[in-house]
Amino acid sequence: MKAAFIAYNQAFVDEIEQILHQLSIRGYTKWDEVKGRGTKTGEPHLGSHAWPSKNMATLCVVEDNIAPILKKRIQALDNDAPEQGLRVFFWEIIDV
Amino acid sequence: MSVYESSVKRPVLVSIAFIAVMILGIFSYSKLSIDLLPEFDMNMAIAIVTYPNASAEDVENYVTKTLEATLSTVNNLKKVTSTSKDNVALVTVEFNWGTDLDDAVNDMRDKLELVKMALPDGCSSPMIFKLSTSMMPVVIYSVDAKESMSALYKILDDNMSNPLQRIEGVGSVTIAGAPQREIVALVDPQKMEAYNLTVESIGGRIAAENLNMPSGKFYIGNESYTLRIEGEYKESEPLNDIVVTNYGGPIYLKDVATIRDSLQEKVQESYVNGKRGATVVVSKQNGANSVDVVNKINKALPSIKKNLPPDVHITEIMNSTDNIINSINSLKETILLAFVFVIVVIMYFLGQWRAALIVIITIPVSLIGAFIYLFATGNTLNMISMSALTIAIGMVVDDAIVVMENVTKHIERGAAPREAAIYGTNEVATAVIATTLTLIAVFFPFTMLGGMAGIMFKQLGWMMCIIMVVSTTCALTLTPMLCSIIYKRKQKSKGQIAAPKANVITKIRDIIQRQLDVLDNAYEKLLSWCVSHKPSTIIISFAVFFVSLLLIKFIGTDFIPRSDNAQISGSIELPAGASVERSKVIAERFYKYARENFPELKNMTYTVGTPSDDEDNSFALMQTSGDNYISFRMKFIDIADRKRDIYEMSDLMREELASYPEVAKSQVTPGGQQGGMTGGSTVEVHIYGFDFETTTKLANQYKEKMSKIDGLKDITISRKDYTPQFNLEFDREKLAENGLSVSSASTFVRNRMNGMTASLFREDGDEYKIKVRYAEEFRKNIEDIENITLYSSAGKPIKLSEVAKVVEKFAPPQIERQDRERIVKVTATLSGTTIDKAKLAIDNITNELSIPSNIGIEIGGSIEDQQDTFSDMGILMILIIILVYSVMAGQFESFRSPFIIMLSVPFALTGMFLGLWITGGTLNMMSAIGAIMLVGIVVKNGIVLVDYINLNRERGMSIVTSIVSGGKSRLRPVLMTTATTVLGMLPMAIGIGEGSEVWQPMGIVIVFGLTVSTLVTLVLIPTIYGSFAARKMNRERKNFKRKLRKENI
Repeated sequence: MKAAFIAYNQAFVDEIEQILHQLSIRGYTKWDEVKGRGTKTGEPHLGSHAWPSKNMATLCVVEDNIAPILKKRIQALDNDAPEQGLRVFFWEIIDV
Repeated sequence: MSVYESSVKRPVLVSIAFIAVMILGIFSYSKLSIDLLPEFDMNMAIAIVTYPNASAEDVENYVTKTLEATLSTVNNLKKVTSTSKDNVALVTVEFNWGTDLDDAVNDMRDKLELVKMALPDGCSSPMIFKLSTSMMPVVIYSVDAKESMSALYKILDDNMSNPLQRIEGVGSVTIAGAPQREIVALVDPQKMEAYNLTVESIGGRIAAENLNMPSGKFYIGNESYTLRIEGEYKESEPLNDIVVTNYGGPIYLKDVATIRDSLQEKVQESYVNGKRGATVVVSKQNGANSVDVVNKINKALPSIKKNLPPDVHITEIMNSTDNIINSINSLKETILLAFVFVIVVIMYFLGQWRAALIVIITIPVSLIGAFIYLFATGNTLNMISMSALTIAIGMVVDDAIVVMENVTKHIERGAAPREAAIYGTNEVATAVIATTLTLIAVFFPFTMLGGMAGIMFKQLGWMMCIIMVVSTTCALTLTPMLCSIIYKRKQKSKGQIAAPKANVITKIRDIIQRQLDVLDNAYEKLLSWCVSHKPSTIIISFAVFFVSLLLIKFIGTDFIPRSDNAQISGSIELPAGASVERSKVIAERFYKYARENFPELKNMTYTVGTPSDDEDNSFALMQTSGDNYISFRMKFIDIADRKRDIYEMSDLMREELASYPEVAKSQVTPGGQQGGMTGGSTVEVHIYGFDFETTTKLANQYKEKMSKIDGLKDITISRKDYTPQFNLEFDREKLAENGLSVSSASTFVRNRMNGMTASLFREDGDEYKIKVRYAEEFRKNIEDIENITLYSSAGKPIKLSEVAKVVEKFAPPQIERQDRERIVKVTATLSGTTIDKAKLAIDNITNELSIPSNIGIEIGGSIEDQQDTFSDMGILMILIIILVYSVMAGQFESFRSPFIIMLSVPFALTGMFLGLWITGGTLNMMSAIGAIMLVGIVVKNGIVLVDYINLNRERGMSIVTSIVSGGKSRLRPVLMTTATTVLGMLPMAIGIGEGSEVWQPMGIVIVFGLTVSTLVTLVLIPTIYGSFAARKMNRERKNFKRKLRKENI
């Protein structure tokens, strides 16, 4: 099992929910307003005067076979609109 | 969940809410009455006290002074003026504008109640007369007739006046110029004497015979009957057979008098287009709406006309609502034009129909909300509310544009329209609210204005605040909702989009985009140069500002711009003592002149003569009249159909009247009296001083010198000329010997000359007076008067010449006072000059004349109102600047940024002076209010620029890069919002249609002020921002170095 941490621009909220739904990922934890910045490129999402946009984050634990599909779907979405900012990170789950 | 989020997620709710607002607004609009100005109370009340048989000077000393002293203590008083005439004192109390007249009059009444005891015996109780707009006629008809002329009064009274009076809102209907029926017994004094009769005894007999009397009840069995004596005459004929005395047999009335059943001897005659006729004056009830009343009258008129005899024709000669309707219609056109201009600007800059559609929807929604306010507060659709809409039209789109622009940015980056709408709106919401707050900071203080300006601009302030709030609400709810629905998500990658078909529209769009790109780049270059040459840029800009201040010299000041309502009224006065016949000749000559020389003339009425004493005509009593006095009123065709305006024509008429040697005084008032507010300005020289001779002489000197000044017309002196009259001087001793008093003797004389009302003759429910007086041949010359027989208390006949002398005298003028001092006013109308120039010229005259030390000279007239209003506006301007600064300081959390932004205000003044200089306008109430609005409008651009430059700096850019790239990216929004406002105001500045002259200066000031200020703001504000930022950075660097050095040591 893998933990997937998706950090994304608020504008992606519908798309992310759709992907999770399509992949039958039922359980998740979501933060409505988080701040963040990309490592290399992209605008920061700080909710400040200078960078008014904000991020959201979703943490979900998925079966090993689902993880690659999730990754593919998220990357496809990111490629569609790279300026928005969207990342997914995976961890190994040791115990439940 | 934020407002934007919920509105995007619940489009149905939002649409329904706004549709409901629209429906309510349209409903309110359909219910709104129209009027010229918002409703306001007049600010004057008059206290009248009669003091019979007192001369003007006595009245002044014993009555007027006492009244003035008490009335000077009422609240909200502006000034007290008074006129003391023979027998009567009139004290006019003027209150500050906006005072509740009912309260003020109550206050007056209380004060007068206290002082009543101090007035001399024989004075009447003080009567208080409230001046109100309802006293002004709303419509005047002229009636001409042939066969029906002799019965015209009754015909009009029954068939026109009564039906009109039944109409809701009609206050009074008065008929003037139609003589009323009167039954007179014209007695022969010699015969009367022979039978030992007097006018009084004959009058008494008539009264005793012409009587109905209930005489009680009586019972027959179970029935009760009333007993009644009906002695009243049914016809005038039997009056002849009244037995007036027994002198060896019955003496009948016909033996000593002839009974004449005809029309009143002398009445004020009115002429309509040269033909004798009657005028019917209709005034409205207080608080009724003129336009509504006139509409109702017009509906009723056809059926009224049907009931009149065929030879009676009714023509409308004055209709106060024509001007109102035309003015409102021209403002409606202005709004429509502004709407079209704004749409064109949006299409030009945005180039997308979707965006344009969203913005265009917000305009009517925001504006219509204001109608609900008008309806709810019982206001009318007037010039003020309509021009508020015109001003607002270019501003309401701004918020929507800002929101939409940001949403579009998100969509272009690939967000879904729904999310883009929510988060895009969220990002700019604070900025949108802040700019709205600056505008509210400007317009809210308007609602607190007092005085004359308060009447004009209170409503404007409320309207603008409401429109701004609605437009912001709209931008934060409706606009994101529409964006989420109307916008489409951007296609996946650029390669996939099919190249749009190359049609005309896309070509035009490309051309516009290329133009705008060129502009962007040019601006970028200019800005880079300016930022690297800060001192020169700042010096040049301020040099421009100071040079523009020199233009003030060429701009005159005025109070309210004059407008053309197609009416001219005026008066012609022949020398005192001239007969009605002479006056008629002059009037006719002037009418012929007007007909021949002014093809624009639609119709003209004039009245000559004195209204008879018992004529029940309050309108006539309000006006000056006399045998030597002609008043006229002209109506012209609409301004669009003629070349000359009423002011030009008035000047020609003045020249003509000046060439009549018979005319002593004349006055031509363009716009008519009721146009008081917008009928041009006057200037008055107030000469205070006790001595009649000195002040009259001085007034004449002023008049002579003023008539040589260009642009001063119609110079009149308020003090009336001495009028010739015959005075009866009684010998009181001889009177006393005969047991008579001055009062009883004068009653004798009056009854014989003027007539005694003996009784009333009733026919068909109407009452006519039965008068007894000397036959005409016995009251023709002075001997006739001297031969009047009086009767002593013992009944002994005495000739008047035994107890009195008839002396020819000049009646002393009426005494006018202001602020408890005697005053003479020399008034001039301004035509072709401005208030400040006129004041200067008059000051020069004052210096030339040697004014005695006990005489005070003051300049008044429109200049008083102007100074009051300008000082009000000066305070308002300062207040608004402070408020706007505070709002911005709060928004930027800085004291420096708002200061930089405020520097665009001086350049608004530059533009304003330039505009007024080019168009030849004046600095008046309207241009001043335009200047005040500019404070709020011009800072908007600065806010947008500085906000974005700040943003860039926070994002880590260098000062110069932040400024140049920030400026470049904000150029289009700034230009676009400016263009919508400027073009929205353009129709107003051009001035379309009737009444537009009033608003034109405001339009001009805003158009020029905003344009110049925006152009300067675009380079100057970033440059000054740069120099402030550079200084701050240098200081920080120095501090840092010092710190480093300290640490090293």
